[in-house]
Amino acid sequence: MPSKIFMGDMPELMENILDNLNNEFYSLYSCALVSRHWCKMSIPILWQNPFSFDHNSLFISQYFSSLDENDSLVLKEYGINAIVTNTLFNYARFLKVLNLLSLEKKVKKWIDIQAVNSKPSTSSIYHTINFLFKLFVESGATLHKLDLYSDYEINPEIFYSLGRNEPFFSRLQDLSLCLSDLNTENAIALLKILAKNATKIGALKIDKFYSDYYEPQLLHAVICIIKSQEQLGQFSLVGGEEFHGIISALESQNNSLKEVTIKFCECSTEFKVLMNCKNLETLRINDCLNEEILEASLNTLEINSYTIYVSNIVQILTKSGTLLQRLKLVSTDEQTKEEPLLLETLKSSCPNITYLNISDVGLSTQFLELIGNLQKLQFLTLWYIGDMLDDEPEIQVMQFAKQLPLTLQYLDLRYSEIDSYIDTLLNNCYAPLKYLLINRLDDEKMSKALVEFCIRKRTLNYMGVSIDLDDNIKRKVEGYVTLVPCERIVVNC
Amino acid sequence: MDNGTSNSASENETITLKSCDGIEFHIDARIANRYTLLNNWNGGESACIPNVNGKVLEKVLEWCEHHINDPQLNCGDDDSRRRNTIIEEWDENFLSCDQDMLFEIILAANYLEIKPLLDLGCKTVANMMKSKSPEEIRSAFNIDNDYTPEEEEQFRKENEWAEDY
Repeated sequence: MPSKIFMGDMPELMENILDNLNNEFYSLYSCALVSRHWCKMSIPILWQNPFSFDHNSLFISQYFSSLDENDSLVLKEYGINAIVTNTLFNYARFLKVLNLLSLEKKVKKWIDIQAVNSKPSTSSIYHTINFLFKLFVESGATLHKLDLYSDYEINPEIFYSLGRNEPFFSRLQDLSLCLSDLNTENAIALLKILAKNATKIGALKIDKFYSDYYEPQLLHAVICIIKSQEQLGQFSLVGGEEFHGIISALESQNNSLKEVTIKFCECSTEFKVLMNCKNLETLRINDCLNEEILEASLNTLEINSYTIYVSNIVQILTKSGTLLQRLKLVSTDEQTKEEPLLLETLKSSCPNITYLNISDVGLSTQFLELIGNLQKLQFLTLWYIGDMLDDEPEIQVMQFAKQLPLTLQYLDLRYSEIDSYIDTLLNNCYAPLKYLLINRLDDEKMSKALVEFCIRKRTLNYMGVSIDLDDNIKRKVEGYVTLVPCERIVVNC
Repeated sequence: MDNGTSNSASENETITLKSCDGIEFHIDARIANRYTLLNNWNGGESACIPNVNGKVLEKVLEWCEHHINDPQLNCGDDDSRRRNTIIEEWDENFLSCDQDMLFEIILAANYLEIKPLLDLGCKTVANMMKSKSPEEIRSAFNIDNDYTPEEEEQFRKENEWAEDY
């Protein structure tokens, strides 16, 4: 007897199962062919985001099944012979994710196939994109995610359709905008509709923000979108020196905002508004200037920068103090400045760190003391430690291994020369590591130490090695630990 | 900040739960604190958990006990983060039971609103479907094909794009 989950009695459970196959196109296709009920459950998921399908663009033909004679003739004028048939479903209605750039790419590919004997014109491509966009709006689809990265001209007819089909944006949860790609007049019209109809956005990303080039109405429309949200949780901004009230508008979300990401921004006093966001937990800063202006008590802080000036971030580290659990500090160009100040601040103010990802520190006594002090540390990633080793690297690595806390489960040494001494590390490590990521494992001594560690600790479940392993070594260690591609076990901040 | 591990009940406190077939379980009160519905059935002489028998309840409680110190996810946590994580070895072994028991655990987790166990069970079943043909899925889950040949043919035509992988 099949489980009642699969017989239609509990559709919400079957949906939960099938949701795990999201973007597994072949698996969903197979599920849909199992039976009529399975088809009814699988098809809406299969067609949620077909534009992310890598292999072909043939699915676009199915959207044209509902063409009326007039539309069909118009397409013909552009050299597109769409075949109109009655389909089993109104597939356009299932669309949940719309990325205009992917739409554009897929349409180009599809038209290439349709017009094999002639080069497709730009106007036929843009006409088809507009046709599809309008079709989605009018099909009854309700988008969850919208990425507006494209410079094509949106047909004004679409704005009329959007005005008449409010549900299309009403459940939007995730919006990414690239203002510099959009024609100003179109962008203003579209953003106004979004501000009116999309009030449940949880994550908003604004990319390539070059405010000097934008009309005041456009900036105002962005501010309206921010202010019209009921519960904006994540905000991300790429680029900007002047913010014209966009950052200040986050004040309206001071109860809901949990995560802010900024990249290539020159932080101004507008950012002081973040101090009032009482539920802000996470701040990610990538290559920004004036970050010393930022003040908040955080659970998660991530800074990736050409150079990290510790004196600029001491304030935020101290203020976060015992709240801080996840910290990433990676300088990509020059070594972190004022390392002793950083280590002292972390040791004295942030004892509850569970995730630490740090670059350019030496295995100094101060660093070893910090590691030994982090009694809740579960995840540790070290970058560019190799240059820091002195004349007696093995002794340093041994001391480091002995300091690793008994809570540590995950150790990522792929970007650190410590993995050249992995045998020394494993022979002296008492931490119950479950996950270990290294760059190479290429000699007997290392594989022997790994096997002995597995036998001694019985905790190591997964190991990722960047460089392909020699078959002999692979055979030797595989009985003790599961080898997986690194990307499957990387834990991000 | 709540990391989900600061339950108000202490380690020594226990509560009693009874399955629908009358089997009693004395469990760490911190487990019930994490899952509201379990707490609702605490103690009462005649308070049985309907729909969940002893065999299944024992498994569910075993899972809860193993994960008692896990951080609790907030409702707003990103679904994709949940989906992309691999299934831990302990969980994989735990759910390597016969298929009937796996579905019973999913139904119980759903009924008792133990969301992480429900998600884990659903992910395990989804993994059993991955990259399988329709025939293989039918045979794995004992499902009859009720398509007419014409319907099946039309379905294949309209969705053949997804066959390409």
